Amino acid sequence: MPILQGFLWLLGFLLLGDTLVTLGHIPVSGGVVGMLAMTAWLMCRGCLNPAIAAASQPLIQMLAMLIMPGVVGVFFIADEFAGQWLAVGVALVLGTLLSVLTTFWLMRRFMPREGDRDD
Amino acid sequence: MTDVLVDLRSHLMATPLFSIALTLAAYLMGTRLFERLGRPGWCPAVLIAALFVAASLSLFGIDYDDYRRGAEWLMLLLGPATVALGVPLYQQRHHIRRLWKPIMLSLPPAAMLAALYSVALAWAFGASPEVMASLAPKSVTAPIAIGITEQLGGSISLMMGGLLITGVMATLTVGPLARWLNVDDPRILGFVLGVNGHAIGTVHAFELGPTAGAFASLGMSLTGILTALLLPLAWQLLGLPAL
Repeated sequence: MPILQGFLWLLGFLLLGDTLVTLGHIPVSGGVVGMLAMTAWLMCRGCLNPAIAAASQPLIQMLAMLIMPGVVGVFFIADEFAGQWLAVGVALVLGTLLSVLTTFWLMRRFMPREGDRDD
Repeated sequence: MTDVLVDLRSHLMATPLFSIALTLAAYLMGTRLFERLGRPGWCPAVLIAALFVAASLSLFGIDYDDYRRGAEWLMLLLGPATVALGVPLYQQRHHIRRLWKPIMLSLPPAAMLAALYSVALAWAFGASPEVMASLAPKSVTAPIAIGITEQLGGSISLMMGGLLITGVMATLTVGPLARWLNVDDPRILGFVLGVNGHAIGTVHAFELGPTAGAFASLGMSLTGILTALLLPLAWQLLGLPAL
C-alpha cells in the first residue's frame, strides 16, 4: 500500500512541523514548517520517494474540496461584518490591482531577457 | 416541518457523515456545472459548490455551525495536504536554481506588498483589526492562508471570500495589464498569476501553457511560504493585536 505509506510520511512531517513550532514558539503553522522540512529532505536525498508522490497527488487534487467548508461560511457572515464591506471591497479589488502591477514591474525589471521558452 | 423529519434531521446531524456527504456531492456537482459553463474565469468551481452547500443548508434548516462541526473532519486533511505541497515545490527546483537571483529580488517585495496594500487600504477605510487580519493573507494559497489567519486571529470565512475575489481579480486583470505593459514572457505571466492569484491564478496559467503553469505554481508556493514566515512577525512588529 504505497499510498498509506506516503500518507504516513506526510503525517510524520506534519507532526515534526507541529513539534518544532510548539517547542520553538514559532508563529507559523505546523503544516508550512512540515512542508519546508519535507522539501529540504527531498532535496538532500535528490529523488522523490514514490510513496510520497502517490499520497501527495490525490491530496493536492482535492484541495479545493477540503477548503469548501470554509468557503461556505462566506454566505453566513453578512451581518457579522456589516458596515465594513466597503473597506473589504476596496482592499480586495484595488489592492489586487496594485499588487498585480507591482509584481509585473518587479519581474520585468529583474527577469533576464534571454530565456529558454518551451511553450 | 413535522416532528418525524425534525427527529430524522437531528439524527443525521449527530455524526459528521451527513456534512461530509453534502460537501462531496456539492463539490462534484459544482465541478460538473463549472465544466458545463465552459470553465468561466470569473466564477471558480469551488464557489458554485459552496453555493450548493449554502442552499442545501437553508433548505433543510441546518445551522452553518452544525455543518461546519461535521465538515471539520474533511478540513483535518488540510494539514497533510499542506505538507504535500512540498512535492511540486521540489519538482520545480531546477527553475529555482537557474533563476534564484531574479526570484530573490522580486518575490519577497511582491508578496509583502500584496499583503501590505490590502491591509493599508482596509485600515484607511476604517476596517477592524479582525477584518485586516482576515484580508492580509489574501494572495496566499488556501491551506497555508488558513494557518496564517489562525495565527493573526482573523475570520476564516471572510479570508476565504477574500481569497476567491483576489484569485478572480488577478486572473481577470493579468491579461489586459500584460498587453498594456507589453509583457509576453510566459515565465513572467505565470509568476504574476501565481504570486497574486494563488491556486485560481495557477489554474489559469496552466491554460496559457506549461511554462506559465510551472512558474505560477512556483510563485504560489514561494509566496505562501514567505508570507507564512514573515506576516505573523510583521504583525507583531507593527503592534497589531492577534485576537
